Amino acid sequence: MMRLLGYRAMQALLVALLVGVLTFLMMQALPGDMAFRIAAGRYGYDMVTAGAADAVRAELGLDRPALQAFGLWFLDLLRLDLGTSVLSGAPVIDEIRHQLGASLQLAGAALILSLLMGLPIGIAAGLRAGGWLDRALLVGSTALRSVPQFLMGLILIVLVSIQLGWLPAAGHGRPEHFILPALTLALGLAAASARITRDAMAGVAASPFYAFGRWKGLSEGQMLRRHGLRNIGVALITFLGLQFAMLVEGVVVVETIFGWPGIGHALVHAIFGRDVPMVQGTALMLGLGFVALNTLIDLAAHRIDPRGARP
Amino acid sequence: MTILLKAADVAVHAGGRRFAGPVSLTLQGGRPLTILGQTGSGKTLLAQAVIGTLPQGLSATGQVTVDGRCHDLSCPAELRALWGRVLGILPQEPWLSLDPLMRARDQIAEGHALVRGMGRTQARAAAERDLEQLGLRDAGDRRPDQLSGGMAQRVAFAAARTGGRIVIADEPTKGLDAARRDDVAQLLLSEVQKGGALLTITHDLALARALGGDLMVVREGQVVEEGPAARALSQPRHDYTRQLIAADPSSWPPARPRPVKGAPLVECRGITMTRGGRRLYSDLHLVVHPGEILGLLGPSGCGKSTLGDVALGLVRPDAGQIRRATGIAPCRFQKIYQDPPSAFPRHVRLGQALDDLVRLHRLDGGRIPLLLDRMRLSPVLLSRRPSEVSGGELQRLALLRVLLLDPVFLFADEPTSRLDLITQAEVTRLLVETARDTGMGLLLVSHDRDLIDASADRCLMLDVTRPSMAPAARLAS
Amino acid sequence: MTVAATDIPLAASRGWSRTQATGLVLLLAVVAFALLTPLLVPVDPLKQSLRHTLAGPDAAAPFGYDHLGRSLMARLAAALRLSLLIAAAAVGTSALLGVGLGVLAAWRGGLADRLASLLADSVLALPGLLTVLIIMAIVPNTPLAFWIGLSLVLWVEYFRLTRATVSRMIVAPGVQATRLLGFGPFYIFRRHLWPELAPMLLTVAALGAATTIMTVAALGFVSVGMRPPTPELGLMMVELLPYYREAPMALMSPVLATFLTLLGLNLIAGGRRA
Repeated sequence: MMRLLGYRAMQALLVALLVGVLTFLMMQALPGDMAFRIAAGRYGYDMVTAGAADAVRAELGLDRPALQAFGLWFLDLLRLDLGTSVLSGAPVIDEIRHQLGASLQLAGAALILSLLMGLPIGIAAGLRAGGWLDRALLVGSTALRSVPQFLMGLILIVLVSIQLGWLPAAGHGRPEHFILPALTLALGLAAASARITRDAMAGVAASPFYAFGRWKGLSEGQMLRRHGLRNIGVALITFLGLQFAMLVEGVVVVETIFGWPGIGHALVHAIFGRDVPMVQGTALMLGLGFVALNTLIDLAAHRIDPRGARP
Repeated sequence: MTILLKAADVAVHAGGRRFAGPVSLTLQGGRPLTILGQTGSGKTLLAQAVIGTLPQGLSATGQVTVDGRCHDLSCPAELRALWGRVLGILPQEPWLSLDPLMRARDQIAEGHALVRGMGRTQARAAAERDLEQLGLRDAGDRRPDQLSGGMAQRVAFAAARTGGRIVIADEPTKGLDAARRDDVAQLLLSEVQKGGALLTITHDLALARALGGDLMVVREGQVVEEGPAARALSQPRHDYTRQLIAADPSSWPPARPRPVKGAPLVECRGITMTRGGRRLYSDLHLVVHPGEILGLLGPSGCGKSTLGDVALGLVRPDAGQIRRATGIAPCRFQKIYQDPPSAFPRHVRLGQALDDLVRLHRLDGGRIPLLLDRMRLSPVLLSRRPSEVSGGELQRLALLRVLLLDPVFLFADEPTSRLDLITQAEVTRLLVETARDTGMGLLLVSHDRDLIDASADRCLMLDVTRPSMAPAARLAS
Repeated sequence: MTVAATDIPLAASRGWSRTQATGLVLLLAVVAFALLTPLLVPVDPLKQSLRHTLAGPDAAAPFGYDHLGRSLMARLAAALRLSLLIAAAAVGTSALLGVGLGVLAAWRGGLADRLASLLADSVLALPGLLTVLIIMAIVPNTPLAFWIGLSLVLWVEYFRLTRATVSRMIVAPGVQATRLLGFGPFYIFRRHLWPELAPMLLTVAALGAATTIMTVAALGFVSVGMRPPTPELGLMMVELLPYYREAPMALMSPVLATFLTLLGLNLIAGGRRA
């Protein structure tokens, strides 16, 4: 267990380093007039002076030699001093905190929706591997996987909100604003979780201990409750951890399409405006969030299945 | 004596073809019935047909009568009602058949509670009693990974018989060594002594002998011999039964040990090995001379295969020295594996694999047909992949492959433990003949004492109960 | 009494399954369309002609025209060529990188293995789309940025799979026996490891290509990918979206092309599990 936590700590450190290198390179690649443009964005074009541009340059560390600049850059990052957004001037940490709530609501709703759809179908298909539901799931999930999330969003907007006029296409604040973005995200996730659940369930249902349970005289329902669910549990929560990355990518796209004021929307905005501190802060938060989540999942998996530690 | 189960005209079909049967059998209280047959004889299919557990794609015909009620085998769903209530079905490999995440007690108690309708506390108490009877008083809180193989077997036995008066055991000794085999026989017979019925399916002659009762010998889905086990095994009426008995190592003629000559090929001195913090052996000596057959005996887990790997230089011992005869190419020290298919590249045709070897060492490919002939193998096999050839054929091909390199020393790691009796006799004879004819030193590892007795010049016994081993003198004499 | 595998020999299935063959045909059709269109109907995908705004099909533009009067067929073919080229480059690079590192890590073991695994796990922690976005801010040439960014993301899957398979196989009796017979590492890779790896790598490659095509289109759609007037699937969709009432088929053509390409790849990827 300690080894596992140690490994996760090393992983967190390396994630921070990767984020540091990537964002540092991004900063180094800023076009020459970027300081001017950022200063203009902040103070207005009429107010830009060489002094203001130099201030921006110093703030970004563009005036130091590269290696030294990177050292300072990475030290700031390790102290979790993320600096201020060059576009809004507000501390990055506040900006992220502000947007994270909206994103978490959306992601949470989508995740719950996808599990409600994916788990029962996956379990039913896995219990009768090769049956009609299993084959239908294979066709359905393959088709669903071939529709990228932005396209799913596009289709839902055109169908539900433009053609039928049932729900608003964009906006934030009222419950009906939730439905389309959450559904867009959930459909793709449901296809994946149904497949994973199906594979885990089929594996358990074909195992010798499942057959032995039947021979002991237990009914199918008793088997599923007592031996099935617990044994697919580890595979499912491990998958949940990996789904985080999928969810984040989905959130970036879906928020942008539906104008949802969350972290993904802000990220695209920051990349577009070359707001390096903001990009760095968001990337760091997402990467460390992934590591933290998977650490929790390791612990949970260990509780469900205490046999030997998995690497 | 009461008849507990009567099966009539049991047959197994798939796609319009009959695979086994028709066979009729009767299970009586207090008298075991054993179905004996080799791999592929259809013995398991027949038993599966009787209890309704045939795999998909196969169908059964016939009737089975239990408790005065007749069930048609063509609708197996009906038979499911008997599982756990009348039939106690013992799984083949118990350590894989227990829920890996559930404590032993709960796995037994759930039969009492959910099938026999006991209350929770009552069921737990009953499970506790079952455990105690089987000498597992303290094992109730353990998960299957915390049980030894023998304990898992007993837990599975307790869980299987919670409701059944008829115990069905399919290959209960698969993968077990001799000592554990006798334990299993005792376990099964304890149920019979209480008036229950027992149907055992096995390939193991020794188990059939130990269980006694009635015996059916099955070949190609047909019963070729039937009668009391004692009579059938001592005075067989059918040729096939005679062949089976003759192939059993206990009836092989004893080896005639010969004096060693020449300098040692492999010499291991002062070998010490530990595994998982446990000392397997220390200060062990092992010497193999040209043409000599050295048997290496011991129960599973005693490190006998590891010792062979040490002699080949595949595993480094914790302490000790290994000396090989000088001036001999390393590839003339060879090994034959326990599981024949795993020793060949899975996706490559066997002929291709041999050609690769011939090309690599610039050997004389013309020897392949001669060796095929000597191994009594058909050249057709060379166009197949390892999964399309039987285990016995593959093991002979593995021997052929190493013989192409003119080995001076061969480590045969339980080369016949996955093979049927008749094939085992054939492969072992080939190994022994090769060692005699070519002057190759053979290190033959086995857990079967009779087999070593009948083939080896000298024997080394490893024993887990004693920390060091006794370099046993000659067992044969 | 679980399996009767020893009683009835089951023929092992080999080669491509029917699902995979369907996927391959679909993919080849898309590739053929992308490559042959400029030869059969040579029209510049950038040439505007306001006379033809949203006009129906004619000989020069069999799929009709977009809102700026450009040939939809020529643009679609050019967009597919771009996406497929980026996908091929990213898949090739990441496969080489991932398989190479995976074999090395599993074969060498020890510290090299642990470091490589740690690096892979850490890259996995960063959402792929984010990595690609950052690389695009670093590298000015967009297709090149896609290639580098996606290669950096996709190699991890090859690495994990290769490492797991190879480290399982090199301790198995088959490889040990082959070594004892005197064969070298190249032979072991060719005869033992590659036949085992190839089908799995095919699945990973197909999924990687699908990821690439989706990423390029998604970023184009949210206006941070390729720049207009470059023909690109996502860009085409967002450009044609305002006109979907007047010309629904114009919007449908990039949508369908994307779906069919991804479907072909997913069928190739998913067909082997049975």
